[in-house]
Amino acid sequence: MAALYPSNEWCEEWKKAINNSERCAEKGKNWGADFNGNWVFELTPSGGLTKTTYVYLGAKDGKCTDARLLNDPSEADAGFYAVGPYEEYKKVVKGEKDFIEGMVRGIFKLRGDMSKIMRNAQFIRAVADSISAFEAEYLGE
Amino acid sequence: MPTIDDFIRPKEWVSDFATNLGKVLRRWGEEKYVPIRQQVDEDWKEHKLIEPLMKEILVDLGINAAFFPAEAGGTDMSDPMALTSIICEELARIDSGFAVACICSIWGLVPILLKPHRNMGLCIEFGEKFCGDELYVGCHAMTEPASGSDVENFGRMKGRTIDTTATLDGDGWIINGHKIWCTNSGKIGDIYVVVCTTKKGSTDPNDFALILVPADTEGVSVGNSYHKCGMSADMNTDVWFDHVRVPKRYRLHGPGDDLKYWRRAISMGNVGSAAMCIGIMKNVYEIIKKWTTERVVVDKALKEHSIVADMLSEVAILIESTSAWLWTYTREMDHPEIYGWDPWDERFLLKTRGLALFANNNVERACSRAMDFMGSYGYAREFDIEKHWRDQKVIGIWMGGKGLKTLENARYWYDIKTL
Repeated sequence: MAALYPSNEWCEEWKKAINNSERCAEKGKNWGADFNGNWVFELTPSGGLTKTTYVYLGAKDGKCTDARLLNDPSEADAGFYAVGPYEEYKKVVKGEKDFIEGMVRGIFKLRGDMSKIMRNAQFIRAVADSISAFEAEYLGE
Repeated sequence: MPTIDDFIRPKEWVSDFATNLGKVLRRWGEEKYVPIRQQVDEDWKEHKLIEPLMKEILVDLGINAAFFPAEAGGTDMSDPMALTSIICEELARIDSGFAVACICSIWGLVPILLKPHRNMGLCIEFGEKFCGDELYVGCHAMTEPASGSDVENFGRMKGRTIDTTATLDGDGWIINGHKIWCTNSGKIGDIYVVVCTTKKGSTDPNDFALILVPADTEGVSVGNSYHKCGMSADMNTDVWFDHVRVPKRYRLHGPGDDLKYWRRAISMGNVGSAAMCIGIMKNVYEIIKKWTTERVVVDKALKEHSIVADMLSEVAILIESTSAWLWTYTREMDHPEIYGWDPWDERFLLKTRGLALFANNNVERACSRAMDFMGSYGYAREFDIEKHWRDQKVIGIWMGGKGLKTLENARYWYDIKTL
């Protein structure tokens, strides 16, 4: 059964997908080594989402340490914080949009060390691509 | 009080990501480079200090990989001109010689890196090195002893003066020739993008060739580093190619397309040069602002004297006006769908010469006026104005110098036929 994006079930699937991905393990071996590699994704209402939602992704050494929804972003300690419309995040989850390109073009606003993104682009892409390993369903569709 | 971040950079055209990348470079520069800037200036011969710093920018901060496609291990950044302008400006604020050394590592590869004319085979083959953990530096080998900037004056010379030849021999090219003044030549460059002709004396665009030559290929040799007035972080030497054989696939595109997409690199070079001029001017602004605020003459800060305020006003105007032009052309290059011409269009190349010339003249003026008002402190090494003053002169001379820039700009706007 497909997990609804965003939901804790979906987060759990994503965590499994990342931890089963050899590519994530290989490309992310230095991720979070000497910096906070955790993420909070803020999904703003659009495309069927009616309430701002926060997705937390703990990431270190090419593995996902935790993935869940947050009630408030302050619940997690994250080095990277990305804000964007749910409609655009859906495109990333569906593999229709490149997350890094979205950040560069300003569709997703990022707070965090850009240089870590530049240096670890292959890991970021591997994490985004890992989503395609499981079925998802979406709000507003 | 306004800072250098208040000069024109349209927020609706430059994403937060790109702006923040600039801040990362600035912070790095303040911490790692500025404290040893004057030592770096003495490192022109060996580059013992400079090479590790280049590694930090090109490898650790990912600039080498920025435009390589994701399939080749790169970051695949969009809006390449905007990012290049920010990189050039921020690094030139610290040291324009260092800025050119870093950006030129990938400059020659523009014809194969950028969409929609990517050569994916070469990107993947060399992406492994450019996007890897070790420093790997590119060098665009263009200028020649006999023809100098004539190589770049393709609109009129049409490549007839290019002496470096590429001869197809079975499944490989044989390169023979001599290049000079190339950024990252000498012991720095790991791979050359060599401007060649497949038929000496030809004016046929199909004979213009861009060919990759790894520096360790048999027959490649280099001279000693030139001792220049400035730009010490940019190593320039002679490079000789003596019956150098490389695979046929190392030609970037092929007849006609090599020249076509090279024009995009030249346009980016013009815009990037202007960005470096702005970077220098912004540092000049910071230096003179501090100087004229802290120095007291006849019971008031220097900047409170009208003749000094005149100079300060002019420097601010030079930065503001150059920035406005720079960002307009940067936008045009990254968004051809709005402006109606391709980034490799020859007309755009001619136009960007005007921007480069304007920026060159402005930075020269800004450095000179700042030095005039700082007096002896202006030409003392400790205050860095004299460094920028020496360095900026080189920007004005490279890529064809002010003569070619003037002619090509006039050629565009007035449809001049014979110059």
